[in-house]
Amino acid sequence: MIAPKIKVENLNAWFGTKQVLKNINMEIKEKAVTAIIGPSGCGKTTFLRCLNRMHEITPGARVSGKVIFNGINIYDKSVDPVMIRKKIGMVFQKPNPFPMMSIYDNVAIGLKLNGVRDKKTLDAVVRRSLELANLWDEVKDDLNRSGVSLSGGQQQRLCIARALAVEPEVLLMDEPCSALDPIATAKIEALIRKLAENYTVVIVTHNIQQAARISDYTAFFYLGELIEYGSTKQIFENPKHELTRKYLTGEFG
Amino acid sequence: MRGVKRIIDPGLEELSATLNKMGELAYYAVSTTLRECVEDWSAYSKIREISDALILMADYVEDKVFELIVRFQPVASDLRTIKSYMKIAYDFARFGRYALDMSYTSQKFHGVRNCEAWITSYIKEMGEKTLNMVRLSIDFLRDRNPQLAEKIVQIEEEIDKMYFDFLDELARRSDTTIRCAVSSVLIVRYLERIADHATYVYKSIIYITTGQRLF
Repeated sequence: MIAPKIKVENLNAWFGTKQVLKNINMEIKEKAVTAIIGPSGCGKTTFLRCLNRMHEITPGARVSGKVIFNGINIYDKSVDPVMIRKKIGMVFQKPNPFPMMSIYDNVAIGLKLNGVRDKKTLDAVVRRSLELANLWDEVKDDLNRSGVSLSGGQQQRLCIARALAVEPEVLLMDEPCSALDPIATAKIEALIRKLAENYTVVIVTHNIQQAARISDYTAFFYLGELIEYGSTKQIFENPKHELTRKYLTGEFG
Repeated sequence: MRGVKRIIDPGLEELSATLNKMGELAYYAVSTTLRECVEDWSAYSKIREISDALILMADYVEDKVFELIVRFQPVASDLRTIKSYMKIAYDFARFGRYALDMSYTSQKFHGVRNCEAWITSYIKEMGEKTLNMVRLSIDFLRDRNPQLAEKIVQIEEEIDKMYFDFLDELARRSDTTIRCAVSSVLIVRYLERIADHATYVYKSIIYITTGQRLF
């Protein structure tokens, strides 16, 4: 049994008066890929953003309940959300490298903002992060190129490298391949599997076949509720809940 | 999506129709060869034709299943259905093949029509039960009626028992001719195999409907 990396307890979330997550309880396993699936508006992206306190950035948004990470409730008053977001990084739907920065600086920015100035340290982290993101070989000869000069798939891997540079333990990915072509998607999917050897990955995806391909566990959300959560094999072969079955087989969505 | 056909549905319907056709052909083959075993006539060439057709149809089902996997990546009940359809197609093809083997036995060794009365009546009774199982498996595939499932399980146990009882009885008697012994043993064995495949069909349908694997 894989130990839980994150334990979600009675999590509720609102945008103003509209409740978008209802009493979610879930254990996210360590060093595994957990996919969050469900129709548009089911709360899956909100759930992901609650896992590193990004939901509260939106004006009018609020959260109740606990997200316990390494034994600490990240919503405790004493917890610094910036520190949490370093440990629980986020990769977004659309690749978003900083447009005015080089490839090198896009990766090094997190460390620089944290006061790291030593060139050797920065060089080593940039190289290691780009290698981990399977991008090093493609960019190593011109790290001073602008990050946005890369292809969409390369930009997304650059964003993954940027997230890895600050040594997170968890990577949250919000539809990281939806803006990419099939080849770039395949590379990101292979990368996600590789990353799961050392990191805990939670991915929101609209592409249920992608969830089936890359995840170890799958959670199905519907109208703000967690309907079913289990191993990906069980969910895709033999879902216990009729709503899950209907969503997966395309009877609604 | 309610009320609108999904794009995978025509493929699933085509598979279902093919299986129904296979079931009826297999039933015809088994019922025909059972008559051959006890009556003086031969339908070997007709049964050969049906058996070959069933094998071709099972191949077609397999190809179609692969096409549906490639094109639609089915999951959940759809995935269980197409996986099971492939297995059921094989089971129906086996019905045809065993019918052909029985027909060959009837041709080669005269079935059991010249055997002692107890052998003929034993095989008639076992044949009727087996044929009933074939019918129930076809009907269960079409109707998914749980009462049919119960009957299949019950008859399968009876057939298994009849198979072993027959071997015991035959071993106990010393007055049976070799021709009758060979023929009857082969026929009860084929009947027992047909009943087993009818049970596999039943198990596949339970898997489709509940996800439960029966062993």
